[in-house]
Amino acid sequence: MSRRGPPSEIKRLAAPVMRLVDAAWQRMHWWVATMAVLYALSGITIVRPDETAVILRWGRLVGDTPALQEHGPGLLFAFPRPVDQVMRVQVKHVWEVQVNTLDADAGATPGASSDEDENVSMGNGGTLDPLTQGYAVTADHNIVQLAMVARYRVREPAEWAFYGPTAANVLRAEVTAAVVRSLGEMEVDRVLSDGRKNLVAVATRRAQAGLDAAHSGLELSSLEFTRLSPPRELAGDFSAVQSAYINAETMKKDAQSFAEGIVPRASAAADADVQAAHAAASADIALANGQAGAFKALDKEYRANPAVVRERLYRDAIEQALRSANVRWVPPPVGGKYSGFRISLPPAGSASRPPA
Amino acid sequence: MDDSLKTQRWLRAVIGSLALAAIAFSATGVVIREGQALLVLRFGHPVRASTGAGLHFKLPWPIDQATILDMRRRVYETGQTEMLTRDKKNVIARTFVVWRIGDPLLFLQSIGKEADAESKLDGLLTNASIGTLGEHDLSALVSTNPNDLQVDKVESELLGSTAPMALKSYGVMIEQVRLERIALPEENVTAVFEQMRAERRQFAAKFEAEGNLEASKIRSEAELAAARIRAKGAEEQARIRGEAAAQVAKTYSDAHRTDPELYRFTRSLESLGKMINGTTSLVLRTDSDPFSLLQSKEKP
Repeated sequence: MSRRGPPSEIKRLAAPVMRLVDAAWQRMHWWVATMAVLYALSGITIVRPDETAVILRWGRLVGDTPALQEHGPGLLFAFPRPVDQVMRVQVKHVWEVQVNTLDADAGATPGASSDEDENVSMGNGGTLDPLTQGYAVTADHNIVQLAMVARYRVREPAEWAFYGPTAANVLRAEVTAAVVRSLGEMEVDRVLSDGRKNLVAVATRRAQAGLDAAHSGLELSSLEFTRLSPPRELAGDFSAVQSAYINAETMKKDAQSFAEGIVPRASAAADADVQAAHAAASADIALANGQAGAFKALDKEYRANPAVVRERLYRDAIEQALRSANVRWVPPPVGGKYSGFRISLPPAGSASRPPA
Repeated sequence: MDDSLKTQRWLRAVIGSLALAAIAFSATGVVIREGQALLVLRFGHPVRASTGAGLHFKLPWPIDQATILDMRRRVYETGQTEMLTRDKKNVIARTFVVWRIGDPLLFLQSIGKEADAESKLDGLLTNASIGTLGEHDLSALVSTNPNDLQVDKVESELLGSTAPMALKSYGVMIEQVRLERIALPEENVTAVFEQMRAERRQFAAKFEAEGNLEASKIRSEAELAAARIRAKGAEEQARIRGEAAAQVAKTYSDAHRTDPELYRFTRSLESLGKMINGTTSLVLRTDSDPFSLLQSKEKP
């Protein structure tokens, strides 16, 4: 017994623990076995439809290429921790970040909300403090303010998860830089009118290039301007230009309305005149034809009985003349001449009187 | 009993081995994930740095101490600094950098914490920005002429003047430097506002003048078109009337040519009828026709 002194002492000290383990095993061996099985299966993961998973084995990414590294939706078999660690990334979900660094109230506080724009003081009566108020300078040295929403998704899960910078920070910085640079190439009137679409396209392309250079693993899905306008102090001046433009357009439209009225009216009047001329011509010709026909008929009769016809015509004419005229009958002169003879004629239009 | 004893011994061996292995692993094993770096300090003295992901081993504490560094990229935005361009114009610029730990040991020795790294970078970038923008005109940053713009060059110069020093001095790898903001000093903004107002007034006047001109042109052209239409109508009218008159004249002349003497007679009678009306006074002797019939001895 003496040669087993030290081991016996260890045994003596460990005996209670051993008894405890023995007792636990006898009473809970099924539970222990179950827990061991569950632990062995704990590496099995369900990857959801909008996710992609990557496996880290002892911290190292499994697979040499992105295609081998990324695992799509379904069951994924992996070893339990600490051997394997499965990271699931929502690659199809589109996230968004507000970019207000160039808005009125966010010059020095990247990411501050612009929801309270209406209540923001715009500086000391006609200026902007660049340290507290955001804005951008256009190519023609004008000032505009804008707020944006950048929408993005994770394109390369491994790069985004292990090497890329924080998504919101890098997006805000890259988008702001891209927009500032793009605005520096465009004149303010283009920016505020037909160049807006181009501005978005150019800035999106530049921001994506920056995100790629930063190994962010992100894809900029869209960039939208929720506000793009001149500073509020100049709103009245820009509105005046808009009003002038609208007035000019109104004047043009009035003139076009006038033109659209006057030309058809002139056409109608000219057409009416022509039709009247046609009518008058037809009437004149008809009258001439009638009178010519009447003359020929009269001439035929005249050739047959010239004296009678002539006499009748003459007398008809004389009778007509005498009926309409104011006639004064006077006796023939005595001795070939009148002496002391006076005639009184009534005023024009009065009834005829018997001869004096 | 023998089986039970064997099971007990086997169980004891397994549990003991597992416990020993877990203790040994936790004391010596270090799992370095992708995007992390390991720095092993032996009694405080750095002996090994590793940037490779995987399972690493070290001697147990207190001999070796493992420090894990986050090697992911970070974005740092500098403060806004007023500076002078080559053409003596004041601008306020802000840059941002994308950086990561390039040399873990040097980073730990020279900086230690991430927040301290950013203060070092701020000074480095501000100094570089002042120097670099001082070598370029403002038109290199904002200009209507594309040939003047040199933003890529400016950013490349900023990177060139900061990245080597940051790596050498602080173990910080600067991968990207970009101009995030270009603004004007507050005093200059007032002048810019006045310039913008003047431009707006100019545009308003231009729009109104162009509108007036265009409207006047449209009206004039319409009036001209209407006048042309009316003139053409008048011409057509005159032509129709002329042709009709010619036809009437021909009709009359054809008819009257058959007996000119009768025509003259009837025409004289017509003239007489037209000339004598209610305002005409005739003085006739009672011995003339038809009154003379009353005095005639002959009866019809």
